Amino acid sequence: MWSTAREVAAGDLVIIWLTRDLAQPLLITPGKELNSKFGVYRHSDLVGIPYGSKVGSRNGKGFIHLLRPTPELWTLALPHRTQILYLADIAFITSWLNIKPGSRVIEAGTGSASFSHSVARTVGATGHVWSYEFHEARAKKAREEFTQHGLDDIITLTHRNVCKDGFTVIDTVDAVFLDLPAPWDAVDHAKKALRTDRVTRICCFSPCMEQVLRTVTALNDAGFTEITMYETLIRPHQVDVVPPLPTIDIIGAQLKQAEARREAKRLRQIANSRQARGEKRKREEPNEEEMPGASTGDQAMDVGAADAADEEMASSHKKSKLSETESLATAVATAAVPSIPAASLESITPTKISLSKAFPEVRGHTSYLTFAVLVPRSTAPDLSEEEEEKASPVLTNRDTAPAESS
Amino acid sequence: MDSGEGPSSVSQPEGTGATKIKLGDTILLRIPSGDIRTLKLEKDSTINLGKFGSFFSNELIDQPYGLAYDITDKKLTVLPPKGLQEVEDTDATNELINDGQAVQPLTVEEIEALKKSGLSASEIIEKQIEQHANFQLKTEYSKEKYKKRKEAKYSKSFSTVIPTLFNVCEYWFNKDPSRLRDIRPDTLSQMLNLASIRPGGRYLAVDDASGVVVAGILDRLGGKGRLITICDVDSPPAYPVVTHMNFSKEFTTPVMSSLNWATADEDYTPVLPSSEPTSGSYKSDAQKTRLNKRKIASNALFQTRDELFNGEFDGLIVASQYDPFSIVQKLFPYLAGSASIVVHSPQVHVLSDLHGKLRDIPGYLGPAITEAFLRRYQVLPGRTHPMMNASGSGGFILHVIKIYDDPNASSVMAHRHKVKKLRAENTSNTGTPTPVQSKTATPSPTVIEDATMTEAEPMKDHSTNATS
Ligand SMILES: C[S@@+](CC[C@H](N)C(=O)[O-])C[C@H]1O[C@@H](n2cnc3c(N)ncnc32)[C@H](O)[C@@H]1O
Repeated sequence: MWSTAREVAAGDLVIIWLTRDLAQPLLITPGKELNSKFGVYRHSDLVGIPYGSKVGSRNGKGFIHLLRPTPELWTLALPHRTQILYLADIAFITSWLNIKPGSRVIEAGTGSASFSHSVARTVGATGHVWSYEFHEARAKKAREEFTQHGLDDIITLTHRNVCKDGFTVIDTVDAVFLDLPAPWDAVDHAKKALRTDRVTRICCFSPCMEQVLRTVTALNDAGFTEITMYETLIRPHQVDVVPPLPTIDIIGAQLKQAEARREAKRLRQIANSRQARGEKRKREEPNEEEMPGASTGDQAMDVGAADAADEEMASSHKKSKLSETESLATAVATAAVPSIPAASLESITPTKISLSKAFPEVRGHTSYLTFAVLVPRSTAPDLSEEEEEKASPVLTNRDTAPAESS
Repeated sequence: MDSGEGPSSVSQPEGTGATKIKLGDTILLRIPSGDIRTLKLEKDSTINLGKFGSFFSNELIDQPYGLAYDITDKKLTVLPPKGLQEVEDTDATNELINDGQAVQPLTVEEIEALKKSGLSASEIIEKQIEQHANFQLKTEYSKEKYKKRKEAKYSKSFSTVIPTLFNVCEYWFNKDPSRLRDIRPDTLSQMLNLASIRPGGRYLAVDDASGVVVAGILDRLGGKGRLITICDVDSPPAYPVVTHMNFSKEFTTPVMSSLNWATADEDYTPVLPSSEPTSGSYKSDAQKTRLNKRKIASNALFQTRDELFNGEFDGLIVASQYDPFSIVQKLFPYLAGSASIVVHSPQVHVLSDLHGKLRDIPGYLGPAITEAFLRRYQVLPGRTHPMMNASGSGGFILHVIKIYDDPNASSVMAHRHKVKKLRAENTSNTGTPTPVQSKTATPSPTVIEDATMTEAEPMKDHSTNATS
């Protein structure tokens, strides 16, 4: 498959990670230049650099990450020719179909070959993938990709309509995966391709429930059992690093403080306005001393507060001026008392916490995965007669169309 | 490549989740009630499934996995596979059935009395069906339910469960998810794909999930490559899930080695009992064998340590009860550039914490947290709907890629910022921008926090696949 060497070499396919949402494949071709909005890079400068390196651009503007391709990265970076499968579905299908090193697998259609790459990686050199695509241009493109990615030994691509003409192998594969609009038309062909000496499996991938129902009927009619259906999705979470959430103790204390300040201010205003009136009165009397602090004092007193202060004065008009001033002073002192608890103060200052929540917008549906198994037919009692005539995998040359698969 | 055929004789490696039942296998049997029993297949013994019958163990040897059997006289006959029970809906509905006593002629008291009289549960159910006044009025569907229940109670049959990774994981998960740290089959499959486990690859794993991760990696290595696990005990760790995979020794032994948090520490020299005879010569053959064994074990240990410390591993999977940050940081040096790091936790909090830490450290690229959602459907003609019971969670996965940082590489943003600043300061610039010196990596220009790498692509029209 792709290079397993430590360093990038000429001719390697690398994945250029530009941002989390932007990864692109790059075939290292010395002489060429990569020109992106994250800078300019000469391919030849990338040769010899270890995979996984962060590389600054030639002009110091921006950087990229040079990643080793994996099928998972390829799925994110590949050129789309069709709708493709993503991690959640690919992984689940692989697991349910029990695809592993050595497995022989059929897939149709190839499409953009997102699934093909993942399965080729998993079956490895001892396994094999037969992939079918009836759209000629797509088949050609996929074939080029497989060759470029060193998959010729693992994937055999055939250009054909599998619903009409079936598959190219008989009694050979462990698993069949169908991602095409009418999988029910390929179910009988799939049964022929599946090996008869052990339990084999099939998966049909369809976005609509109506397709599922037709597929289920076809599978049941063909003798598949344990028919079941799944839907799987990935829910991404975002993480925010924030200060710990403040407690209500703190909010309560803040409110109390604010209230106390307001009260203190009000009392101060009362005192001030009283004083001012006193002075006014004084000033009205002839030749008295300068009014101190009138220009520097608290002038922010608003009308409402002034009114309140007036009322207050009216209600306490009986009190002597001296005693009033005294009581005001104590009121100001006591109003300032509520303070923020030391413990909660401590907790707002230090470390941050990480909070996660699901993304607001996520993929809600990809497709329904209909699965079924086919038990070994050689051991099923009603088929025991036919058991002996089953030979080693036979190729149906009849079905091979060399012209199409050049 | 293209005759369209491909190879006709691809060799199937032995020992990869065997397809035939062997003596000594740990097998899973599904009994009619739907429960699964597990047992080790011994020669010449009797396997007793209680009221579902008993049979001779030898009957199963060399049988392919995955068949259903009928038990008669302790002998097995293969049952043909069952198709969907096609049940035509009749006109009968629940309309005429009173939910009261007519439906269940036996009162709670009567049932209690029957129980006291020594009747088994199945006999009681049978009595209920017999006395079911309105049985004929019930829909075919409900009748089927009754019949199924009846069948489950009386048929002496079972089937063998194929020990695929999926089935084994599912069996353990259904039995007790906490022992798997909530790793459900779908979650496990995502972890293995995200870590890009392939035959021939070299991986590190920390598995406190009963070995379900180890089983998965071994399965995907197919007997080729390398797996070093790090555990918290001084003897080789027990990974009970692996037992159910029935891997052969040849399949696992050359591939897997284990260290623990002491022996995996570069600054620590393991204290090993001497393998040399104290007197200079062996006292006995027995001593010689014992000491030789010791020598082999200690050599193997030092070899594994060297291998770990030489690094360049392709990936790391962690499913541990311990602080994942300490684990990831400890093993980070041994990973190759571009290696995948996959951490699973039943609690998202643990991973958000890890995420918050990793994203400030150069060397970790694109941490993303995801949760797998899985919904299973019953598919029966006319009655297709999601299962009534579903698992709540398969836990969470954090995936991140190891990179070699370049502190001198600056982002487009940082560059623009710098140019502006230089212009503003009106200093005489030499023309070559000086690298931005910052402790941490300069943030990438358009890092969109936490968009998952796996689902970044918006859903596209799947028109090619719509019914046509
Ligand atoms: C949705 S795409 C497959 C995407 C693919 N699974 C992937 O992950 O990239 C479906 C493909 O099946 C092809 N196709 C549809 N019907 C077919 C048929 N009867 N025989 C062969 N290919 C077919 C279409 O041309 C299309 O490219």
